[in-house]
Amino acid sequence: MTKKRKITEEFSVMTEPVAVEEATSANDLKSNLEQTKSYDGVIGYIMRNSTSATIDLKDPTKIVDYAIVSSSALDAGNEFSKLFDLGDMEDIIVEGKTAKILSLSIGENKVSVFMDKNADCAQILKKLRSL
Amino acid sequence: MDTEVYSFALKNALNEIQNICPDIKNAFMFREDGEVIAGDVNTPEETIAHVVEAFDSITEKADAIGDIESITLDSTKGRVNITCLNDLYLATVTNEKADMVYVKTVTRVLIPTILNLLDKINPVPAKNDLPKPPTIEQEPEPSPVRKTKDKVKLIEETEPEEFDEPEQIQPEVEPRSLIPEPPVNQFIVENIGGLLVPSDTVRIDNEIITQWLDLYPEKKIVDVDVETFVGESVTCKVKPIKDSKYEGKGIIQMPDKIQLNLGIKKGELVRVKPVIQ
Repeated sequence: MTKKRKITEEFSVMTEPVAVEEATSANDLKSNLEQTKSYDGVIGYIMRNSTSATIDLKDPTKIVDYAIVSSSALDAGNEFSKLFDLGDMEDIIVEGKTAKILSLSIGENKVSVFMDKNADCAQILKKLRSL
Repeated sequence: MDTEVYSFALKNALNEIQNICPDIKNAFMFREDGEVIAGDVNTPEETIAHVVEAFDSITEKADAIGDIESITLDSTKGRVNITCLNDLYLATVTNEKADMVYVKTVTRVLIPTILNLLDKINPVPAKNDLPKPPTIEQEPEPSPVRKTKDKVKLIEETEPEEFDEPEQIQPEVEPRSLIPEPPVNQFIVENIGGLLVPSDTVRIDNEIITQWLDLYPEKKIVDVDVETFVGESVTCKVKPIKDSKYEGKGIIQMPDKIQLNLGIKKGELVRVKPVIQ
């Protein structure tokens, strides 16, 4: 009974904007990223913060390539936001001829999800933003 | 096509797009190699250069995902979209409340249409940087003459194909006419003023007039037909440009009176072809 009550309280706290950052722990985010891997067309993801990085890609030979392009995408996104005075970057989608990348910052974590060209970016974004 | 004219046409298009879609704060176009083709009046060149540089930093490292087709950035106060259109990249910056469906409809319909039109006007667009004379449309070769039911019709090769009327064209071709179709050139209007300036005379590059005379060695070229892109036209006298600073730039110096008659002003484009006498 006590345990059940606690869970309810946690849920109600998570709906408060102030608490979102606290709840956006690396573990929660990682859990969501794991779930996105089951979505159609998702190739893998990279999550990194100041202390660690988690990489999960179907094709490990491309880890370096994907890491570099995702880092460039985030840097370019911040640069664009600054140049046009657009405030804080929320997310950036880079679409190539064969695949696309969704990159965003969630709390201290920088996340990039790699997917096939026809994958549903909005669905993944919604999932990641749900934390 | 002269790169300057090509850019001028695109720049006008970008400005007009912003007029009909005020949610677009900035718009500009560049090539994959980083060359800026055109930018709207609101966007400083320095800003465009920084964007292109940042874009390059992604493309250089994008082998894993193939050539970049689009980049969409969402920020708290707006959005940046860079889309590949006909081998060029169109960048638009919109505010956070922009109707993106409308913005996409406007940009992804109008810009490709304009690019296609420019390519049709002359199939050698600004895809290379070789210096060219300021001519845009030239038909130095005699046009084929096709026989219709009642008359022989000169087919204007400079017109887009869809304007042809295939049902009127017979398969037989009789090259009866020996006079080449007058070439059509495009120029940017420049003002000309002064006390002794005749109000019925335009001035263009002597090089162009010489090219025309080469085409029609036994003819005189005293007049030209000047036509705007909305269909207004006038026939006036033509003379070579005197001021060397306007030479080789695709300029037509035009008195105010003619500009008024045509409903145009400095900086706009006109088509010019010689009147063969």
